[in-house]
Amino acid sequence: MNLFIIFYQYSKLSLKTMLEYKFDRTFITLAIFFREMISVVVMFLILTRFLHIKDWQLFELFFLYSFLFLSYSLFIFLFAGIRDFDHMIHSGEFDRFLTRPLGLMFQIVASRVDYPATLGHGIVGIILFMFTASNVGIDWNIQNIIYYIIALIGGAIIQASIFMISASFSFWTIRVENLRNLIFFNSRRIAGYPISFYPSIIQKILIFVIPFAFVNYFPAQYYLGKEDIELFWGGYMYLTPFVGIIMFFIVYLFWKMGVRSYSSSGNSMY
Amino acid sequence: MRVYLEFAKKSFQNSIVYRMDYFAGVINAIVMILVNIYIWKAIYEEEAAIEGVQFKIIVTYIIISFLMQMVYMMDEYFIENKVRSGLISMDMLKPIHFRWYVFSYNIGTVVFRLLLQFTPAIIVSIFLFNLLGPFSVLYFSYFLLSAVLGYLVLYNLNFIVWISSFWFYWTFSLVTIKDAAVMILSGAMIPLWFMPEWLVDFIKLTPFDAIFYIPIRVYLGMVPEQEILSALFRQVMWIFILFLIGQLLWKAATKKLVVQGG
Repeated sequence: MNLFIIFYQYSKLSLKTMLEYKFDRTFITLAIFFREMISVVVMFLILTRFLHIKDWQLFELFFLYSFLFLSYSLFIFLFAGIRDFDHMIHSGEFDRFLTRPLGLMFQIVASRVDYPATLGHGIVGIILFMFTASNVGIDWNIQNIIYYIIALIGGAIIQASIFMISASFSFWTIRVENLRNLIFFNSRRIAGYPISFYPSIIQKILIFVIPFAFVNYFPAQYYLGKEDIELFWGGYMYLTPFVGIIMFFIVYLFWKMGVRSYSSSGNSMY
Repeated sequence: MRVYLEFAKKSFQNSIVYRMDYFAGVINAIVMILVNIYIWKAIYEEEAAIEGVQFKIIVTYIIISFLMQMVYMMDEYFIENKVRSGLISMDMLKPIHFRWYVFSYNIGTVVFRLLLQFTPAIIVSIFLFNLLGPFSVLYFSYFLLSAVLGYLVLYNLNFIVWISSFWFYWTFSLVTIKDAAVMILSGAMIPLWFMPEWLVDFIKLTPFDAIFYIPIRVYLGMVPEQEILSALFRQVMWIFILFLIGQLLWKAATKKLVVQGG
Protein backbone atom coordinates (compact mmCIF):
# COMPACT_ATOMS: atom_id res chain seq x y z
CA MET A 1 0.00 0.00 0.00
CA ASN A 2 2.82 2.28 0.92
CA LEU A 3 4.36 1.76 -2.48
CA PHE A 4 1.21 2.97 -4.17
CA ILE A 5 1.26 6.17 -2.21
CA ILE A 6 4.88 6.79 -3.11
CA PHE A 7 4.19 5.96 -6.74
CA TYR A 8 1.31 8.40 -6.72
CA GLN A 9 3.51 11.11 -5.21
CA TYR A 10 6.20 10.49 -7.81
CA SER A 11 3.70 10.77 -10.68
CA LYS A 12 2.36 13.95 -9.20
CA LEU A 13 5.88 15.34 -9.17
CA SER A 14 6.46 14.44 -12.84
CA LEU A 15 3.15 15.97 -13.74
CA LYS A 16 4.03 19.16 -11.91
CA THR A 17 7.39 19.42 -13.66
CA MET A 18 5.57 19.03 -16.91
CA LEU A 19 2.90 21.60 -16.12
CA GLU A 20 5.57 24.12 -15.22
CA TYR A 21 6.30 24.37 -18.94
CA LYS A 22 2.73 23.92 -20.14
CA PHE A 23 3.13 25.72 -23.42
CA ASP A 24 6.37 24.03 -24.35
CA ARG A 25 5.22 20.54 -23.41
CA THR A 26 1.96 20.91 -25.28
CA PHE A 27 3.95 21.69 -28.39
CA ILE A 28 6.31 18.77 -27.81
CA THR A 29 3.30 16.47 -27.52
CA LEU A 30 1.90 17.91 -30.71
CA ALA A 31 5.25 17.53 -32.46
CA ILE A 32 5.56 13.87 -31.46
CA PHE A 33 2.01 13.34 -32.64
CA PHE A 34 2.83 14.81 -36.06
CA ARG A 35 6.08 12.87 -36.32
CA GLU A 36 4.32 9.59 -35.64
CA MET A 37 1.52 10.49 -38.03
CA ILE A 38 3.95 10.58 -40.97
CA SER A 39 3.92 6.82 -41.46
CA VAL A 40 0.18 6.67 -40.84
CA VAL A 41 -0.49 9.30 -43.48
CA VAL A 42 1.81 7.53 -45.94
CA MET A 43 -0.06 4.28 -45.32
CA PHE A 44 -3.33 6.11 -45.84
CA LEU A 45 -2.16 7.67 -49.12
CA ILE A 46 -0.92 4.35 -50.49
CA LEU A 47 -4.11 2.57 -49.54
CA THR A 48 -6.44 5.23 -50.97
CA ARG A 49 -4.66 4.62 -54.26
CA PHE A 50 -4.31 0.84 -54.19
CA LEU A 51 -7.19 -0.16 -51.84
CA HIS A 52 -5.39 -3.19 -50.47
CA ILE A 53 -1.94 -4.69 -50.12
CA LYS A 54 -1.84 -8.46 -50.34
CA ASP A 55 -5.40 -8.76 -49.15
CA TRP A 56 -4.86 -6.35 -46.24
CA GLN A 57 -7.36 -3.48 -46.25
CA LEU A 58 -6.67 -0.02 -44.87
CA PHE A 59 -8.54 -0.59 -41.62
CA GLU A 60 -6.81 -3.87 -41.00
CA LEU A 61 -3.39 -2.31 -41.51
CA PHE A 62 -4.34 0.54 -39.20
CA PHE A 63 -5.55 -1.93 -36.59
CA LEU A 64 -2.22 -3.74 -36.84
CA TYR A 65 -0.40 -0.44 -36.51
CA SER A 66 -2.44 0.68 -33.49
CA PHE A 67 -0.83 -2.06 -31.40
CA LEU A 68 2.60 -0.52 -31.95
CA PHE A 69 1.50 2.92 -30.80
CA LEU A 70 -0.63 1.88 -27.85
CA SER A 71 1.89 -0.57 -26.43
CA TYR A 72 4.74 1.90 -26.91
CA SER A 73 2.70 4.57 -25.17
CA LEU A 74 2.02 2.18 -22.29
CA PHE A 75 5.68 1.23 -22.15
CA ILE A 76 6.79 4.87 -21.97
CA PHE A 77 4.15 5.66 -19.38
CA LEU A 78 5.27 2.84 -17.12
CA PHE A 79 8.96 2.48 -17.93
CA ALA A 80 10.32 5.86 -19.03
CA GLY A 81 12.85 5.40 -16.25
CA ILE A 82 14.30 2.36 -18.01
CA ARG A 83 14.54 4.29 -21.25
CA ASP A 84 16.51 7.06 -19.53
CA PHE A 85 18.51 4.70 -17.35
CA ASP A 86 21.84 5.33 -19.09
CA HIS A 87 21.50 8.94 -18.13
CA MET A 88 20.68 8.09 -14.51
CA ILE A 89 23.91 6.13 -14.21
CA HIS A 90 26.08 8.74 -15.88
CA SER A 91 24.65 11.66 -13.95
CA GLY A 92 25.01 9.84 -10.63
CA GLU A 93 21.28 9.95 -9.99
CA PHE A 94 21.33 6.18 -9.66
CA ASP A 95 23.74 6.36 -6.72
CA ARG A 96 21.13 8.25 -4.77
CA PHE A 97 18.64 5.46 -5.40
CA LEU A 98 21.08 2.99 -3.87
CA THR A 99 21.03 4.84 -0.58
CA ARG A 100 17.26 4.81 -0.20
CA PRO A 101 15.26 2.13 1.60
CA LEU A 102 13.19 1.26 -1.44
CA GLY A 103 13.42 -1.25 -4.28
CA LEU A 104 15.75 -0.08 -7.04
CA MET A 105 13.49 -1.10 -9.87
CA PHE A 106 10.58 0.64 -8.20
CA GLN A 107 12.45 3.91 -7.89
CA ILE A 108 13.66 3.81 -11.48
CA VAL A 109 10.22 3.07 -12.82
CA ALA A 110 8.38 5.50 -10.55
CA SER A 111 10.73 8.44 -10.83
CA ARG A 112 10.05 9.21 -14.48
CA VAL A 113 6.98 9.65 -16.57
CA ASP A 114 7.39 11.13 -20.02
CA TYR A 115 3.94 12.60 -20.58
CA PRO A 116 4.57 14.20 -23.98
CA ALA A 117 5.77 10.90 -25.48
CA THR A 118 3.03 8.91 -23.75
CA LEU A 119 0.36 11.25 -25.07
CA GLY A 120 1.91 11.78 -28.52
CA HIS A 121 2.06 8.06 -29.24
CA GLY A 122 -1.07 7.28 -27.27
CA ILE A 123 -3.25 9.68 -29.20
CA VAL A 124 -2.12 8.26 -32.54
CA GLY A 125 -2.84 4.77 -31.20
CA ILE A 126 -6.26 5.70 -29.89
CA ILE A 127 -7.25 7.42 -33.13
CA LEU A 128 -6.22 4.37 -35.15
CA PHE A 129 -7.99 2.04 -32.74
CA MET A 130 -11.22 4.08 -32.71
CA PHE A 131 -11.33 4.17 -36.48
CA THR A 132 -10.76 0.47 -36.90
CA ALA A 133 -12.05 -1.44 -33.88
CA SER A 134 -15.60 -1.60 -35.16
CA ASN A 135 -14.71 -1.85 -38.82
CA VAL A 136 -12.64 -5.00 -39.03
CA GLY A 137 -15.29 -7.46 -37.90
CA ILE A 138 -14.18 -8.08 -34.36
CA ASP A 139 -16.76 -9.21 -31.84
CA TRP A 140 -15.70 -7.29 -28.73
CA ASN A 141 -16.83 -9.80 -26.15
CA ILE A 142 -15.28 -10.08 -22.69
CA GLN A 143 -12.73 -12.66 -23.75
CA ASN A 144 -11.52 -10.53 -26.67
CA ILE A 145 -11.32 -7.38 -24.60
CA ILE A 146 -9.30 -9.10 -21.90
CA TYR A 147 -6.87 -10.61 -24.38
CA TYR A 148 -6.49 -7.20 -26.03
CA ILE A 149 -5.44 -5.63 -22.75
CA ILE A 150 -3.12 -8.53 -21.94
CA ALA A 151 -1.56 -8.33 -25.39
CA LEU A 152 -0.94 -4.59 -24.99
CA ILE A 153 0.73 -5.12 -21.62
CA GLY A 154 2.73 -8.01 -23.03
CA GLY A 155 3.85 -5.83 -25.94
CA ALA A 156 4.86 -3.06 -23.56
CA ILE A 157 6.90 -5.52 -21.49
CA ILE A 158 8.63 -6.91 -24.58
CA GLN A 159 9.71 -3.39 -25.53
CA ALA A 160 10.71 -2.61 -21.96
CA SER A 161 12.88 -5.73 -21.94
CA ILE A 162 14.74 -4.64 -25.05
CA PHE A 163 15.45 -1.30 -23.39
CA MET A 164 16.44 -2.99 -20.16
CA ILE A 165 19.07 -5.13 -21.86
CA SER A 166 20.77 -2.00 -23.12
CA ALA A 167 20.28 -0.29 -19.74
CA SER A 168 22.03 -3.19 -18.01
CA PHE A 169 25.15 -2.65 -20.07
CA SER A 170 25.63 0.73 -18.45
CA PHE A 171 26.49 -1.01 -15.16
CA TRP A 172 29.74 -2.00 -16.83
CA THR A 173 29.99 1.53 -18.25
CA ILE A 174 29.36 0.28 -21.75
CA ARG A 175 27.24 2.70 -23.73
CA VAL A 176 24.94 1.00 -26.18
CA GLU A 177 22.23 3.65 -26.23
CA ASN A 178 22.75 4.54 -29.88
CA LEU A 179 23.00 0.93 -30.95
CA ARG A 180 19.79 0.19 -29.05
CA ASN A 181 17.93 3.04 -30.74
CA LEU A 182 19.18 1.82 -34.09
CA ILE A 183 17.97 -1.73 -33.50
CA PHE A 184 14.77 -0.83 -31.69
CA PHE A 185 13.41 1.85 -33.97
CA ASN A 186 14.34 0.10 -37.19
CA SER A 187 12.63 -3.09 -36.02
CA ARG A 188 9.62 -1.04 -35.11
CA ARG A 189 9.63 0.53 -38.55
CA ILE A 190 9.70 -2.89 -40.20
CA ALA A 191 6.94 -4.17 -37.93
CA GLY A 192 4.64 -1.37 -39.10
CA TYR A 193 3.49 -3.60 -41.96
CA PRO A 194 2.54 -7.28 -41.75
CA ILE A 195 5.70 -9.36 -41.44
CA SER A 196 4.40 -11.67 -44.14
CA PHE A 197 5.40 -8.97 -46.64
CA TYR A 198 9.05 -9.56 -45.90
CA PRO A 199 11.49 -12.33 -46.78
CA SER A 200 11.75 -15.13 -44.27
CA ILE A 201 15.05 -14.01 -42.75
CA ILE A 202 13.46 -10.73 -41.62
CA GLN A 203 10.42 -12.62 -40.34
CA LYS A 204 12.64 -14.90 -38.27
CA ILE A 205 14.53 -11.97 -36.79
CA LEU A 206 11.28 -10.28 -35.77
CA ILE A 207 10.01 -13.49 -34.18
CA PHE A 208 13.08 -14.91 -32.47
CA VAL A 209 15.67 -12.16 -32.05
CA ILE A 210 13.88 -8.83 -31.58
CA PRO A 211 10.37 -10.16 -31.08
CA PHE A 212 8.39 -7.24 -32.43
CA ALA A 213 6.12 -9.67 -34.25
CA PHE A 214 4.57 -10.42 -30.86
CA VAL A 215 3.96 -6.75 -30.19
CA ASN A 216 1.63 -6.23 -33.12
CA TYR A 217 1.47 -8.87 -35.86
CA PHE A 218 0.47 -11.95 -33.89
CA PRO A 219 -1.97 -10.27 -31.50
CA ALA A 220 -3.56 -8.47 -34.45
CA GLN A 221 -3.84 -11.77 -36.29
CA TYR A 222 -5.65 -13.24 -33.30
CA TYR A 223 -8.43 -10.76 -34.10
CA LEU A 224 -8.19 -10.46 -37.86
CA GLY A 225 -7.33 -14.03 -38.88
CA LYS A 226 -5.92 -13.02 -42.27
CA GLU A 227 -4.81 -15.79 -44.58
CA ASP A 228 -1.10 -15.12 -44.25
CA ILE A 229 -1.12 -16.44 -40.68
CA GLU A 230 -0.84 -19.84 -42.39
CA LEU A 231 2.83 -19.03 -42.95
CA PHE A 232 3.43 -19.27 -39.23
CA TRP A 233 2.61 -21.61 -36.40
CA GLY A 234 -0.89 -20.70 -35.20
CA GLY A 235 0.11 -20.87 -31.53
CA TYR A 236 2.15 -17.70 -31.88
CA MET A 237 -1.08 -15.70 -31.73
CA TYR A 238 -1.50 -16.54 -28.05
CA LEU A 239 2.12 -16.22 -27.00
CA THR A 240 2.52 -12.44 -26.58
CA PRO A 241 2.10 -12.36 -22.78
CA PHE A 242 4.38 -15.37 -22.33
CA VAL A 243 7.09 -13.94 -24.56
CA GLY A 244 6.87 -10.77 -22.50
CA ILE A 245 7.13 -12.57 -19.16
CA ILE A 246 9.98 -14.85 -20.24
CA MET A 247 11.95 -12.03 -21.79
CA PHE A 248 11.50 -9.85 -18.76
CA PHE A 249 12.57 -12.67 -16.45
CA ILE A 250 15.77 -13.37 -18.38
CA VAL A 251 16.59 -9.69 -18.71
CA TYR A 252 15.94 -9.18 -15.01
CA LEU A 253 18.57 -11.81 -14.16
CA PHE A 254 21.04 -10.01 -16.39
CA TRP A 255 20.13 -6.75 -14.70
CA LYS A 256 20.69 -8.29 -11.24
CA MET A 257 24.14 -9.37 -12.36
CA GLY A 258 24.81 -5.81 -13.44
CA VAL A 259 23.70 -4.26 -10.16
CA ARG A 260 25.97 -6.65 -8.25
CA SER A 261 29.05 -5.69 -10.23
CA TYR A 262 28.22 -1.99 -10.29
CA SER A 263 30.66 0.50 -8.88
CA SER A 264 29.75 4.14 -9.15
CA SER A 265 31.20 6.36 -11.85
CA GLY A 266 32.00 8.62 -8.93
CA ASN A 267 30.51 11.88 -10.03
CA SER A 268 27.24 13.38 -9.12
CA MET A 269 25.69 16.11 -11.18
CA TYR A 270 23.05 16.74 -8.54
CA MET B 1 36.52 32.58 -48.54
CA ARG B 2 39.46 30.76 -46.94
CA VAL B 3 37.80 31.10 -43.54
CA TYR B 4 34.59 29.49 -44.71
CA LEU B 5 36.51 26.63 -46.26
CA GLU B 6 38.10 26.06 -42.90
CA PHE B 7 34.67 26.02 -41.25
CA ALA B 8 33.50 23.43 -43.74
CA LYS B 9 36.59 21.36 -43.09
CA LYS B 10 36.02 21.53 -39.38
CA SER B 11 32.44 20.37 -39.61
CA PHE B 12 33.62 17.53 -41.88
CA GLN B 13 36.09 16.44 -39.21
CA ASN B 14 33.45 16.82 -36.50
CA SER B 15 31.18 14.42 -38.35
CA ILE B 16 33.89 11.77 -38.50
CA VAL B 17 34.24 11.73 -34.74
CA TYR B 18 30.71 10.46 -34.15
CA ARG B 19 31.21 6.99 -35.51
CA MET B 20 27.95 5.54 -34.25
CA ASP B 21 25.94 8.33 -35.86
CA TYR B 22 27.77 7.57 -39.04
CA PHE B 23 26.74 3.91 -39.07
CA ALA B 24 23.26 4.77 -37.92
CA GLY B 25 22.82 7.09 -40.89
CA VAL B 26 23.75 4.41 -43.40
CA ILE B 27 21.80 1.61 -41.74
CA ASN B 28 18.67 3.71 -41.22
CA ALA B 29 18.64 4.62 -44.90
CA ILE B 30 19.12 1.03 -46.02
CA VAL B 31 16.41 -0.27 -43.69
CA MET B 32 13.98 2.38 -44.89
CA ILE B 33 14.73 1.47 -48.50
CA LEU B 34 14.30 -2.22 -47.72
CA VAL B 35 10.98 -1.78 -45.93
CA ASN B 36 9.57 0.39 -48.68
CA ILE B 37 10.69 -1.93 -51.44
CA TYR B 38 8.93 -4.88 -49.80
CA ILE B 39 5.77 -2.86 -49.35
CA TRP B 40 5.75 -1.90 -53.02
CA LYS B 41 6.59 -5.44 -53.97
CA ALA B 42 3.53 -6.58 -52.02
CA ILE B 43 1.41 -3.94 -53.76
CA TYR B 44 2.51 -4.88 -57.26
CA GLU B 45 2.47 -8.63 -56.74
CA GLU B 46 -1.12 -8.92 -57.86
CA GLU B 47 -0.89 -6.63 -60.83
CA ALA B 48 1.46 -8.90 -62.73
CA ALA B 49 0.81 -7.26 -66.10
CA ILE B 50 2.33 -3.90 -65.28
CA GLU B 51 4.73 -5.21 -62.73
CA GLY B 52 7.97 -4.92 -64.69
CA VAL B 53 8.31 -1.26 -65.52
CA GLN B 54 6.16 0.27 -62.77
CA PHE B 55 7.85 -1.67 -60.01
CA LYS B 56 11.37 -0.88 -61.21
CA ILE B 57 10.55 2.81 -61.43
CA ILE B 58 9.10 2.94 -57.96
CA VAL B 59 12.08 1.05 -56.51
CA THR B 60 14.45 3.52 -58.12
CA TYR B 61 12.31 6.40 -56.87
CA ILE B 62 12.46 5.07 -53.31
CA ILE B 63 16.21 4.48 -53.38
CA ILE B 64 17.07 7.90 -54.80
CA SER B 65 14.70 9.55 -52.37
CA PHE B 66 16.12 7.95 -49.23
CA LEU B 67 19.70 8.44 -50.34
CA MET B 68 18.97 12.11 -50.95
CA GLN B 69 17.32 12.39 -47.54
CA MET B 70 20.42 10.89 -45.98
CA VAL B 71 22.77 13.34 -47.69
CA TYR B 72 20.49 16.31 -46.97
CA MET B 73 20.34 15.62 -43.24
CA MET B 74 21.41 18.76 -41.37
CA ASP B 75 22.25 19.66 -37.82
CA GLU B 76 18.90 21.18 -36.93
CA TYR B 77 19.99 22.56 -33.57
CA PHE B 78 23.24 24.27 -34.58
CA ILE B 79 21.85 27.79 -34.28
CA GLU B 80 19.59 26.94 -31.35
CA ASN B 81 22.56 25.66 -29.34
CA LYS B 82 24.48 28.84 -30.08
CA VAL B 83 21.57 31.03 -29.07
CA ARG B 84 20.88 29.15 -25.85
CA SER B 85 24.51 28.91 -24.78
CA GLY B 86 25.14 32.55 -25.63
CA LEU B 87 28.03 31.61 -27.94
CA ILE B 88 26.16 33.40 -30.69
CA SER B 89 27.41 36.73 -29.35
CA MET B 90 31.00 35.56 -29.89
CA ASP B 91 30.20 34.54 -33.45
CA MET B 92 28.64 37.87 -34.19
CA LEU B 93 31.65 39.75 -32.90
CA LYS B 94 33.92 37.92 -35.32
CA PRO B 95 34.57 39.50 -38.73
CA ILE B 96 32.55 36.88 -40.56
CA HIS B 97 29.06 36.72 -41.98
CA PHE B 98 27.04 34.47 -39.72
CA ARG B 99 24.82 33.19 -42.52
CA TRP B 100 27.82 32.16 -44.59
CA TYR B 101 29.35 30.58 -41.54
CA VAL B 102 26.27 28.41 -40.92
CA PHE B 103 26.11 27.54 -44.59
CA SER B 104 29.73 26.49 -44.85
CA TYR B 105 29.30 24.38 -41.74
CA ASN B 106 26.45 22.55 -43.47
CA ILE B 107 28.41 22.15 -46.68
CA GLY B 108 31.13 20.38 -44.72
CA THR B 109 28.53 17.95 -43.44
CA VAL B 110 27.19 17.35 -46.94
CA VAL B 111 30.65 16.53 -48.25
CA PHE B 112 31.11 14.11 -45.37
CA ARG B 113 27.81 12.41 -46.10
CA LEU B 114 28.51 12.21 -49.81
CA LEU B 115 31.92 10.64 -49.40
CA LEU B 116 31.42 8.37 -46.43
CA GLN B 117 27.71 7.60 -46.23
CA PHE B 118 26.34 7.97 -49.72
CA THR B 119 29.09 5.92 -51.36
CA PRO B 120 28.61 2.70 -49.36
CA ALA B 121 24.82 3.10 -49.44
CA ILE B 122 24.67 3.50 -53.21
CA ILE B 123 26.92 0.48 -53.72
CA VAL B 124 24.63 -1.64 -51.54
CA SER B 125 21.61 -0.29 -53.42
CA ILE B 126 23.03 -1.11 -56.83
CA PHE B 127 23.87 -4.67 -55.88
CA LEU B 128 20.93 -5.52 -53.63
CA PHE B 129 18.03 -3.57 -55.04
CA ASN B 130 18.52 -3.26 -58.81
CA LEU B 131 18.67 0.49 -59.02
CA LEU B 132 17.84 1.78 -62.49
CA GLY B 133 20.50 3.98 -64.05
CA PRO B 134 19.74 7.59 -64.91
CA PHE B 135 17.59 8.21 -67.98
CA SER B 136 20.47 9.61 -70.05
CA VAL B 137 23.79 11.39 -69.56
CA LEU B 138 22.16 14.73 -70.28
CA TYR B 139 19.35 14.04 -67.82
CA PHE B 140 21.87 12.96 -65.24
CA SER B 141 23.57 16.33 -65.38
CA TYR B 142 20.15 18.01 -65.12
CA PHE B 143 19.52 15.80 -62.12
CA LEU B 144 22.76 16.84 -60.41
CA LEU B 145 21.88 20.48 -60.92
CA SER B 146 18.33 19.94 -59.71
CA ALA B 147 19.55 17.99 -56.66
CA VAL B 148 21.83 20.87 -55.68
CA LEU B 149 18.91 23.27 -56.05
CA GLY B 150 16.74 20.91 -54.01
CA TYR B 151 19.29 21.00 -51.24
CA LEU B 152 19.28 24.79 -51.30
CA VAL B 153 15.49 24.91 -51.10
CA LEU B 154 15.54 22.64 -48.06
CA TYR B 155 18.44 24.55 -46.54
CA ASN B 156 16.72 27.90 -46.84
CA LEU B 157 13.47 26.48 -45.53
CA ASN B 158 15.34 25.01 -42.58
CA PHE B 159 17.12 28.26 -41.92
CA ILE B 160 13.80 29.99 -41.35
CA VAL B 161 12.90 27.40 -38.73
CA TRP B 162 16.35 27.55 -37.13
CA ILE B 163 16.34 31.31 -36.88
CA SER B 164 13.09 31.15 -34.92
CA SER B 165 15.19 29.96 -31.98
CA PHE B 166 16.01 33.63 -31.38
CA TRP B 167 12.41 33.99 -30.26
CA PHE B 168 11.53 30.55 -28.90
CA TYR B 169 14.89 29.20 -27.58
CA TRP B 170 13.62 25.60 -27.91
CA THR B 171 12.78 24.62 -31.45
CA PHE B 172 12.35 20.85 -31.14
CA SER B 173 8.63 21.10 -31.77
CA LEU B 174 8.89 23.41 -34.75
CA VAL B 175 11.70 21.38 -36.30
CA THR B 176 9.78 18.14 -35.84
CA ILE B 177 6.56 19.51 -37.31
CA LYS B 178 8.50 20.99 -40.23
CA ASP B 179 10.14 17.60 -40.79
CA ALA B 180 6.75 15.89 -40.86
CA ALA B 181 5.50 18.38 -43.45
CA VAL B 182 8.60 17.90 -45.60
CA MET B 183 8.44 14.11 -45.40
CA ILE B 184 4.89 13.92 -46.66
CA LEU B 185 4.52 16.90 -48.98
CA SER B 186 7.88 16.68 -50.73
CA GLY B 187 7.16 13.23 -52.10
CA ALA B 188 9.99 11.79 -50.03
CA MET B 189 7.96 8.79 -48.87
CA ILE B 190 5.50 8.33 -51.71
CA PRO B 191 5.57 9.86 -55.21
CA LEU B 192 3.18 12.72 -55.79
CA TRP B 193 1.63 10.94 -58.76
CA PHE B 194 -0.02 8.49 -56.35
CA MET B 195 -1.53 11.25 -54.25
CA PRO B 196 -5.08 12.58 -54.63
CA GLU B 197 -5.41 15.54 -56.97
CA TRP B 198 -6.49 18.11 -54.38
CA LEU B 199 -3.38 17.39 -52.35
CA VAL B 200 -1.10 17.71 -55.36
CA ASP B 201 -2.77 21.01 -56.25
CA PHE B 202 -2.02 22.22 -52.76
CA ILE B 203 1.59 21.03 -52.87
CA LYS B 204 2.14 22.92 -56.13
CA LEU B 205 1.60 26.12 -54.16
CA THR B 206 4.34 25.22 -51.66
CA PRO B 207 8.12 24.83 -51.95
CA PHE B 208 8.02 21.20 -50.81
CA ASP B 209 7.99 19.42 -54.16
CA ALA B 210 11.06 21.43 -55.20
CA ILE B 211 13.12 19.54 -52.62
CA PHE B 212 12.90 15.86 -53.58
CA TYR B 213 10.15 15.34 -56.11
CA ILE B 214 11.53 17.48 -58.96
CA PRO B 215 15.11 16.08 -58.86
CA ILE B 216 13.91 12.46 -58.68
CA ARG B 217 11.53 12.95 -61.57
CA VAL B 218 14.37 14.42 -63.58
CA TYR B 219 16.54 11.41 -62.75
CA LEU B 220 13.82 9.07 -63.95
CA GLY B 221 13.43 11.07 -67.16
CA MET B 222 9.80 11.89 -66.40
CA VAL B 223 10.17 15.59 -67.10
CA PRO B 224 9.99 16.30 -70.85
CA GLU B 225 12.97 18.18 -72.26
CA GLN B 226 11.06 21.42 -72.85
CA GLU B 227 9.76 21.48 -69.26
CA ILE B 228 13.10 21.00 -67.55
CA LEU B 229 13.95 24.66 -67.61
CA SER B 230 10.69 25.67 -65.98
CA ALA B 231 11.14 22.95 -63.32
CA LEU B 232 14.60 24.23 -62.48
CA PHE B 233 13.29 27.78 -62.50
CA ARG B 234 10.63 26.80 -60.00
CA GLN B 235 13.37 25.58 -57.67
CA VAL B 236 15.41 28.76 -58.09
CA MET B 237 12.36 30.87 -57.43
CA TRP B 238 11.69 29.10 -54.14
CA ILE B 239 15.33 29.39 -53.08
CA PHE B 240 15.07 33.09 -53.72
CA ILE B 241 11.81 33.56 -51.82
CA LEU B 242 12.87 31.46 -48.85
CA PHE B 243 16.27 33.14 -48.74
CA LEU B 244 14.61 36.55 -48.59
CA ILE B 245 12.31 35.52 -45.77
CA GLY B 246 15.31 34.11 -43.95
CA GLN B 247 17.20 37.35 -44.48
CA LEU B 248 14.34 39.44 -43.09
CA LEU B 249 14.08 37.21 -40.05
CA TRP B 250 17.84 37.26 -39.59
CA LYS B 251 17.82 41.06 -39.58
CA ALA B 252 15.00 41.11 -37.06
CA ALA B 253 16.71 38.47 -34.95
CA THR B 254 19.99 40.32 -34.65
CA LYS B 255 18.07 43.36 -33.45
CA LYS B 256 16.28 41.53 -30.70
CA LEU B 257 19.06 39.18 -29.62
CA VAL B 258 19.16 38.79 -25.86
CA VAL B 259 22.00 36.71 -24.50
CA GLN B 260 21.45 35.00 -21.21
CA GLY B 261 24.88 34.63 -19.71
CA GLY B 262 27.57 33.51 -22.09
